[in-house]
Amino acid sequence: MKRSMLVVAAFAGLAIGTVLRPEPSVRAEQEDPFPHARHQGLFPLCTGCHEGIPTGDRGDWFPEPEACSGCHDGVERATVTWNGPSERVDNLAFEHAEHEQSRAQAGDPPGQCASCHIEPGGGRMEVAADIQVETCWGCHAHETDQHFNVDASCETCHVPLASTRFGTDRIERLPTPPSHEVDGFVLEAHGALAPGRTAMCATCHTRRRCVSCHVDTNVAEIAQIPTAPATMELPAMAATYPEPASHVDDGWLEGHQREASVGACATCHTSNDCRTCHVSAVPDIVAGLPSRESVVAPGVMLESRSPDSHSSLFFMQAHPVLASADQATCQTCHLERFCVECHEADVGGGYHPPNFMTRHSGDAYGRDSECANCHEPRVFCRQCHADLGLSGLRRAAAGYHDGTPIWLLQHGQAARQNLESCSSCHRQVDCTRCHSVLGAFKVSPHSPGFDAERAWAQSPRTCLACHVGDPTNGNVP
Amino acid sequence: MRGLPPASRAARHAREPTVITVSGSQGVSRSGGVLFGLALAVFAGQLVGRPHEAAGQSYRAWLSSSIHMVEVRPVGVDSVARAEVTADGEGGFVFGAYPVSCDVDVCSGLLPLSKERIFAATQDASVTYWGLGVQGLSVTALVRLRADFGGDFTWPRYDDEFDAMLGYAQLVRGALRVRAGRQEIRSGLGFSAFDGASGSFDRGRFGVHLYGGRSLARGLREPTNEAVRALDDFFVDKGVYLMGGAVTVREFGVSLTGRYHREILSDRSGLESERASVDFSTTLPRVRVRGSLDYDFAFQRPGKGELTLSAPLDDGTWLVEVSGRRYVPYFQLSTIWGFFEPVSYSEARARVGWSGSPRLGLWLAGGVRTYGDTETPVVLRPLEDTGWRADAGARWEPADGWSLDASYELEWGSGAFLSSGDVTTRYQATPRLGAGVSLATFQQIEEFRLGQGRAVSLGGTLDFAVADGMELFGGFSITRHRDGGTVFTSPWNQSRAWTSFRWSVGEDPGLANRGGRR
Repeated sequence: MKRSMLVVAAFAGLAIGTVLRPEPSVRAEQEDPFPHARHQGLFPLCTGCHEGIPTGDRGDWFPEPEACSGCHDGVERATVTWNGPSERVDNLAFEHAEHEQSRAQAGDPPGQCASCHIEPGGGRMEVAADIQVETCWGCHAHETDQHFNVDASCETCHVPLASTRFGTDRIERLPTPPSHEVDGFVLEAHGALAPGRTAMCATCHTRRRCVSCHVDTNVAEIAQIPTAPATMELPAMAATYPEPASHVDDGWLEGHQREASVGACATCHTSNDCRTCHVSAVPDIVAGLPSRESVVAPGVMLESRSPDSHSSLFFMQAHPVLASADQATCQTCHLERFCVECHEADVGGGYHPPNFMTRHSGDAYGRDSECANCHEPRVFCRQCHADLGLSGLRRAAAGYHDGTPIWLLQHGQAARQNLESCSSCHRQVDCTRCHSVLGAFKVSPHSPGFDAERAWAQSPRTCLACHVGDPTNGNVP
Repeated sequence: MRGLPPASRAARHAREPTVITVSGSQGVSRSGGVLFGLALAVFAGQLVGRPHEAAGQSYRAWLSSSIHMVEVRPVGVDSVARAEVTADGEGGFVFGAYPVSCDVDVCSGLLPLSKERIFAATQDASVTYWGLGVQGLSVTALVRLRADFGGDFTWPRYDDEFDAMLGYAQLVRGALRVRAGRQEIRSGLGFSAFDGASGSFDRGRFGVHLYGGRSLARGLREPTNEAVRALDDFFVDKGVYLMGGAVTVREFGVSLTGRYHREILSDRSGLESERASVDFSTTLPRVRVRGSLDYDFAFQRPGKGELTLSAPLDDGTWLVEVSGRRYVPYFQLSTIWGFFEPVSYSEARARVGWSGSPRLGLWLAGGVRTYGDTETPVVLRPLEDTGWRADAGARWEPADGWSLDASYELEWGSGAFLSSGDVTTRYQATPRLGAGVSLATFQQIEEFRLGQGRAVSLGGTLDFAVADGMELFGGFSITRHRDGGTVFTSPWNQSRAWTSFRWSVGEDPGLANRGGRR
């Protein structure tokens, strides 16, 4: 009986060894599970085979494979090919020897292998594949009834992932806690859970997991997650950036600066994201964000898009006033040359369509826009009109203004209505031939209410274009 | 028999002196040129030495080369033998469709001359470069080189071979921006270019902008007196200094900018302009509102103004805009034009747009304007003092990459009439290759000088992205004049062609969706 107990203990220890192993989490795993149950009659004690487990002596954790040939000698029993336990990797932080020692110090009786390695009601050598976690909870007062609850203290039993020798496959097989599968876990919940629970995060994650999305790698919680050793292979980690609800609101793009801060933006955005649109004087916040080149995470990788206002059907008609009302807003995305390139574009593009010139007179006449903003009339308009023969010819014979038979007598009204058009063909001297005190007819171009004194005070040189001396006779205010 | 007395282009140009603008070597472009040279050198160094770094944020640059050809048929005072003209039935004479004045043997009038053609080329280069070792420091330069490849006349501005359009250094520190060099102010008072300095402080709800320097002519990059010296018998041969400032307030959902702008002659002997403007925009629960108004202190009168209400309806399917607008031309005090007291017009406009389908959009707009009292003598009958305009259009995308645009425009005012229609189809064959064909027809009566006839124009465009950042554009248009009128009519036959190549690095994202307008 005593011998059989020894065998059981030995094999129980063997089983325990397959589950519980001291840091750094190496435990034994047989190539084929050892058939404990079939040997229950042979080994009365677990420590018969696993003598070193309670003592921490690794050399005696498992029996040598050659020990099997004591029975399986090919004569009395068939030979077996069991080669002993192969090394198996786990993430448990349990050390049998330390555990026994702490129990002893606390005055507790020595632990029984079966309490952890055999399912309740199981036979003496019916060693379970997994340990009975509930046994741990019996003493450690686990605060939850579920292994993966968010208030679990994982570090009590598990070492951080970065301290394991898990490979890519094993990491990918780590179970996903239910908390991770709720909507919005990535966007909001995980950030709320992480403070104070980074040890729990570290059980299944290395810092690499955090920085594969987080641009702001200097966050305290991230710094508390251990970094994986350089030799550790980690699964590919695709960055995920769910869009916050605020970002899809109407007008978010136009008003995002009100809520922008390095702390708020750097979770997902590198400065490259901002510079996708911000082209000139980047705000301090942008300068404070890490660049894409300096971090592991790619950031959201924004693509620039026009503000909603730009998609309005009549935006082109609206933009002059909008730009004048708040030029700094335009300069967020547009360099000054953007305006120049369009408003002063050469052929083939820009403000006017390619076929504009043949019909520009209509737009010029109606003054939908102010042509002189870009085209100095004396230089631009009149030069071309002159080349085409449409300049003022100083002749009263048949000519351009034939549409109205008595044009000369009516031109005053037309001129006051559309003087810019006059100046696109006529020089000032064409007018002063008559509208000057030295002119042929001395016709005053001024209306009855003309403030001559003010004009003389402001620009006397211009008055002298038509007048000899002070036209106000010294009556200047 | 035409051409009895020599009437030629030379004669025309004798009366209208050729524009002689001051070239860049005469100081106009010194500051811009130096900055551009600096920027270009650093840019080139980056390209050669640190391409990867340079490809990021350290610069944005482009080069654009274009060539264009224009063939037109000018008019000029020419003469014909009296025997070749006929009476027009109203006591006058016509040569063909062209009215002429006759003495005993010879008649003269504005007659079509021979076809004339011009080839001209433009080279634009622009760079904005950061990374000069000081955080927030950048330089920007945009220069334009022009070449007249010969031809029968000079295209506007092509006798000026070099313009430094922009050339400034800029330092940005937080909300503060300081800029020195050649720059532009684009505001509710129009565009003003100057060589000088500007500074702005913009922090959230409040911004202020101050600037000053040597003023440059509107639309040009040289002082006005130098630009027009050869063009007019009267001009004030003084440089002009410019100064101004603007305050922007963003509060309660309103963006509002007030601006003051003053120009004085360099010897302080006179004022060139003194104006102020207010521009604002806001979004109310169902309506967007924008408005502007400027005031000319020199002439003591309001200038241009606009108030527009824009209402998206039916979840944005419809957009309705109504505007009240006032327009009065602005002239600097150094010209006599402003003292002729041009009157303003007031206009009511409305636009309706429908874009219920991503592939189909329609719009219709119209406006009527009334000119102010010109206080001029009325002889026989006054000219009309109202004007109308209307336009409508549609855009349809029957399939991916294929679009069809059609528009119609009517301009009808005192002594002038334009009726014009366009149809353009464009096909994007591949992401890199696109082509378009357009057909237009228009009629311009009275002052617009097409007569009762019509012109028909056929055009085409081609754009090809040679490689990332490299694009080739080309196009042509051929216009033919059909059926002349009974009064003087410019021969409208003309042909135009152009091609341009553009290479850009670090494109300004705003440029991607740039659209032209009429």
